[in-house]
Amino acid sequence: MKKVWKKSALAALTLGLAATVLAACGDKEEAGNAEEFKGKITIWDGPRWPDADDNKFHWLEEKIKEYEEANDGIEVDLVQVPWAEMGDKLGVAIAGKAWPDIAPVDISGSAVSIDHIEQGVIEALDPYFDKDAKKDFYENALDAYTYDGKLYGIPNSITLHTMLLNLDLFEEAGVEPPKDGKWTYDEFLSAAEKLTFDRDGDGKTDVHGFSTYILPGYYEAWPFFYKNGGSPLNEDLTEFTFDSPEVVKAIQDLADLKLKHKVAPETHGGNDVGGTFQAWANEEQRTVAMQPWATWAIGAAQGKYPTNFMVAEYPSGDKDASTIGGVGGWVMMHQDDVNKKAAVADFMKFISTAEEQYNMAQHYGIFPARVSASEMDPFKDNPEMTRAMEMSDQVVMLPRHPEWRKIDEAIQNELQLVFNGEKTAEQAMADAKKAVDKILE
Amino acid sequence: MKAGYASRTPASLLGGGNMTQMPMGAVPKKKDEKLKVIGKAKGNPRKLFYEMKRNYSAYLFLLPKLILFTLFVAIPVVWAFVLSFQKYKIFGSEFVGFENYIKVFESDAFRIALKNTLLFTVVTVPFGVISALVLSTLIFELGKLSQSLFRSAFYLPTVTSMVIIAMVWRWMYNYDFGLFNYVLGWFGVGPVNWLGQSNTALWALIIMQCLIPFGVGIIMYLASMGSISQSLYEAARMDGASRFKQWIHITIPLLKPTTLYLVLLSTIGSFQVFTQIIMMTGGGPGSATETLVHLIYKTGFRDFEFGLAGAQSVVLFVIILIFSVIQFRVLRHDE
Repeated sequence: MKKVWKKSALAALTLGLAATVLAACGDKEEAGNAEEFKGKITIWDGPRWPDADDNKFHWLEEKIKEYEEANDGIEVDLVQVPWAEMGDKLGVAIAGKAWPDIAPVDISGSAVSIDHIEQGVIEALDPYFDKDAKKDFYENALDAYTYDGKLYGIPNSITLHTMLLNLDLFEEAGVEPPKDGKWTYDEFLSAAEKLTFDRDGDGKTDVHGFSTYILPGYYEAWPFFYKNGGSPLNEDLTEFTFDSPEVVKAIQDLADLKLKHKVAPETHGGNDVGGTFQAWANEEQRTVAMQPWATWAIGAAQGKYPTNFMVAEYPSGDKDASTIGGVGGWVMMHQDDVNKKAAVADFMKFISTAEEQYNMAQHYGIFPARVSASEMDPFKDNPEMTRAMEMSDQVVMLPRHPEWRKIDEAIQNELQLVFNGEKTAEQAMADAKKAVDKILE
Repeated sequence: MKAGYASRTPASLLGGGNMTQMPMGAVPKKKDEKLKVIGKAKGNPRKLFYEMKRNYSAYLFLLPKLILFTLFVAIPVVWAFVLSFQKYKIFGSEFVGFENYIKVFESDAFRIALKNTLLFTVVTVPFGVISALVLSTLIFELGKLSQSLFRSAFYLPTVTSMVIIAMVWRWMYNYDFGLFNYVLGWFGVGPVNWLGQSNTALWALIIMQCLIPFGVGIIMYLASMGSISQSLYEAARMDGASRFKQWIHITIPLLKPTTLYLVLLSTIGSFQVFTQIIMMTGGGPGSATETLVHLIYKTGFRDFEFGLAGAQSVVLFVIILIFSVIQFRVLRHDE
């Protein structure tokens, strides 16, 4: 009996050992070996900050050169894609299974979605990122790229939306900007009323207090809708909740800036992104005193469109101020060769170090996704970016529903009709609910 | 407007090429001798092969175009049809029968897009063809130099990218400093948010389309007018017919094959309106300017539902086909 027990124990131990060895082999096989790969890696990127020759791809070009010199036999091919075309081009590339190896993607954006993760178009990076490697990233940045417990990208930046106030116009109208950039909606409305004025006395309004635009995929106006609480979908993403009384009131308040209070131009709530920005930033226009923008606009107002401005929070309502945030990063598209996969991951890590994120934050107007990069204090000489970074704790993320693009369009289409006065916020959100309910079915 | 269509003659397309050169009342020959030979060879593979061998140089010249057509038109069309019966997935699509077609017909978005596209087509096609006919008639009366000048001027928008045209028109419709609101200001009329209101946005696009000269139409009408026998006009003048009556009873009837071609051409173009939409309104405000091709684009490349987009494309193809057959039959009725 003892012998049988001993034999059984030995057999179990052997099996266990074999299973462990096999599992280890499996992990290694899954991770691949970067050194064994020789060939080409393709990366897409959009224009970033310019060098002396106005080359906006110089940062990545330099990193590629450095990597190729250190890794014999690996060639990295950079494909330059304008940001405005990135989504469409990536969509077409995915449809044609002709994707690059690495792409710069905000996973909550329109180009790549959870649906692509489910279909296996995006590679999980867990074999290359152990717990220690993840420790240096902000939790919300990692969350944005995590699905079903797996990591599907390396976050390289965090963005959020802020209010930008033209201080010259504040001074001209004799309006005091909000102290520390914090204000209530009533204070904001009062400022907008004073900032709407006829400069030359011809009976026509020359400057308006506020304007923004409404377009699927853009969220500059949305923090206003959150000021009294509420969100587009409930917590388990099964129900449309943007028709709650607090949200409906907030939407109507923002539309009424044009419809009732006349402190916003006729184009308020239209779909002209460029025209809206020019009205605030272009030296020849500057017909609007306050606009909400993502943090890239801070860099633009400090560079190409030099403006005397300050960053302020969105006004608070019944609830504290909030803002919509996004996380940018690198994703690895589907790979058949496990060794190439390892090499691609290696290059992704190479361009996502704390130093690179610090560099990007300093020059490109984004916040680092790594804690250590933030600790290097990239905005010590930039008080407006510092103020914007302080708003990070107000960030609300958009619902991560696989059909978000359709839900977003259904809501934003109705919002456009509120802002041009064709529907009340209540009617519009009731109609949006019908459309969204069909999508959620 | 596609260059490929523009380069084809209406005669070759409609089989009525010699109509404009014939006296009224003459019966055109339906097939020439060569066509008869090919017609006979059609049922006989050996004779067809012999025909092809005899005219091998012609087929060689056709080959590059045929290869390009197969690669970039025929295969994608067939592939879209196949896709329309599938739930598209990157790795392994599923066959779903007519599910996508059911979704198309149940979709509010498709109904709205179809309604907008029909309105766009019904207004812009007759306006475009009639204005081309009237302008051609006026230009045809001018001297050679003036003719060339106007012909070039009216053809210019045809060779200009619609993206550029749309950007210029977007400026013209601008609320604050657009040309239209500036002109309205002269008459004491307040500015209009042309592209921002549901009741004006689609009409703004229709007006834009109507005011862009139909260059291909003008060129083709002028060419066809030049081939109408002057003896017909001389006979009409001897009978005391006014110039307007000559235009109504001689010019317009003899231009019918050209008119049919242009109506077909512009109907297909109008059903496929896309660039103006994506450049100027994005289908909004709300769904006020949503059109079929823009919807297909969004379904395919934003939502990645290529099966549904395929079904929408097939339905659009059938709609265009039905319209084309109706137009063909109505306009060829008395030939």
